[in-house]
Amino acid sequence: MKKIKIEANQEQKELTGKQAFFQNIDYSRALQLSTCVRCGLCAQSCHYYLTDREVKSIPAYKISLVGRVFLYYFGFQRKFWSWWLGSQKLDSSNLDEWTNILFGRCSLCGRCSLNCPMGIKIHDLVRFGRSILARLEVMPQGLASTIKTALIFDNNMGIKPEEWVETVKWLEQELRIERGSSSLFFPLDRFGAKILYAINPREAKFFPLSLLAVGQIFSEAQESWTLSSFNYDATNYAYFLGDDKLAAKFFKRLEASMKRLGCQILVLTECGHGFNAARWESPGWLGYRPEFEIKNVLEIVAEYVKEGKLKLDPSRHKLPVTLHDPCNLVRLGGLLEEARFLLKKAVTHFVEMTPHGIENFCCGGGGGQLAMTEFASQRLKAGKLKAEQIKKTGAKIVVAPCHNCLDQLLELNRFYQLGIQVKTVCEVVAEALIVG
Amino acid sequence: MAEDKKEKEYLEVNEEGFLVQPDKWNEQVACWLAKTQEGIEELTEDHWKIINFLRSYWEKHGLAPMIRLLCQETGFSLRKIYELFPSGPAKGACKIAGLPKPDGCV
Repeated sequence: MKKIKIEANQEQKELTGKQAFFQNIDYSRALQLSTCVRCGLCAQSCHYYLTDREVKSIPAYKISLVGRVFLYYFGFQRKFWSWWLGSQKLDSSNLDEWTNILFGRCSLCGRCSLNCPMGIKIHDLVRFGRSILARLEVMPQGLASTIKTALIFDNNMGIKPEEWVETVKWLEQELRIERGSSSLFFPLDRFGAKILYAINPREAKFFPLSLLAVGQIFSEAQESWTLSSFNYDATNYAYFLGDDKLAAKFFKRLEASMKRLGCQILVLTECGHGFNAARWESPGWLGYRPEFEIKNVLEIVAEYVKEGKLKLDPSRHKLPVTLHDPCNLVRLGGLLEEARFLLKKAVTHFVEMTPHGIENFCCGGGGGQLAMTEFASQRLKAGKLKAEQIKKTGAKIVVAPCHNCLDQLLELNRFYQLGIQVKTVCEVVAEALIVG
Repeated sequence: MAEDKKEKEYLEVNEEGFLVQPDKWNEQVACWLAKTQEGIEELTEDHWKIINFLRSYWEKHGLAPMIRLLCQETGFSLRKIYELFPSGPAKGACKIAGLPKPDGCV
């Protein structure tokens, strides 16, 4: 693996594996690293292992890489039984293995952690392993360049401010033409609005249908909302890198926009990791709780439907529809019911996958996998489980409230010839909306 | 078919079907990419309008254009672009136009 520096200006002297390890370890992780009893239950919960049956894909093996290094530097027995325990130094000999396994064979979906009888947060330990690699400046090219772009611009796709402003104007026009109404708005930088809506830059650059849907829903519910002309990116790729400092920096951009526009609720687009990072991880990174509320757009839209602000006509969707639960939104984010509630109101034929909810399998696109081209074939192979799940439901439309999942599902559709349409929840809701 | 094989010998695509060397692109390559990577049998005039715009924008600016610009410059509606390239503008159209894979969630 080549060394890649993310922040070019940072004059940091090169660390050794030992220093990187020492800087990142804390008590809770140290305890968890020593807790694994190698029972192997996690193997049955991992979509990588279930599709390739390789030992390297077993979650316990993945964290044993980190565990062995931990033992080498910290274990009190290390002087006597080092060879017997398999403890290992962290140096150039195992960096490649670390990268290929911790980045290439894990999507940080957390299904193993849920099924671990010892309660080990396995996915967090993998993230910890990644954070050490990041300290050593060893990381996959695609992930590094996405984060670099996010650092240079205010979003991970390198959208220039004027391009974004133009896009918002264009979206407003498109929406008015498409729905034949001039009372639809895309407010930009409206001070004092209740909601600040943070998007995934992918929506503005390539896939604006979800933005159009949200614009229509907010207009219909007569919500006081706004977009920001800068610092609007809901994603946080530093989360996948395990770099908490950088992740905090990205979150602070959203915080700055909230303060600048005086909004009360930060509403994030249908983005799994962005939601998990902002809602649950950010207080840990910042050291304090943000002063405003952080919600996902699904929660807000579900509220509208419950309050009767939106009326939906399910008869417009007659094809069978299924829901993919994004790991970061459901298992790690806790939004179990919102998407199902909305789909049941918006379509006539809703089918569940088996398993679903918190036990749902990852689509294979999480953990930054979509940004890491070097592991793409592995990612598609690991997505076989999801492809089979979808086939079994017989659904023609697969709904996923996460842009990462959407991309992976689109690829699975092509690769496994599923013949499905892939949509966000808001798109389906907007299509079922009774206007008036 | 014989032609396809010949193309494959000197053209390398990455694991997601994007050209490894975008400057090796030409119209024949576009047809081959469309067929093998995207399952589009024949590129129509409408396809070419989009592909040519993407290509020339990329050659000038070094990155893919925003969807807004693509729609406004070619005059196609959003839905039409999705009809032409079912994998969408990023993974479908940019790939056939020989652009490198964009960063981020794509």
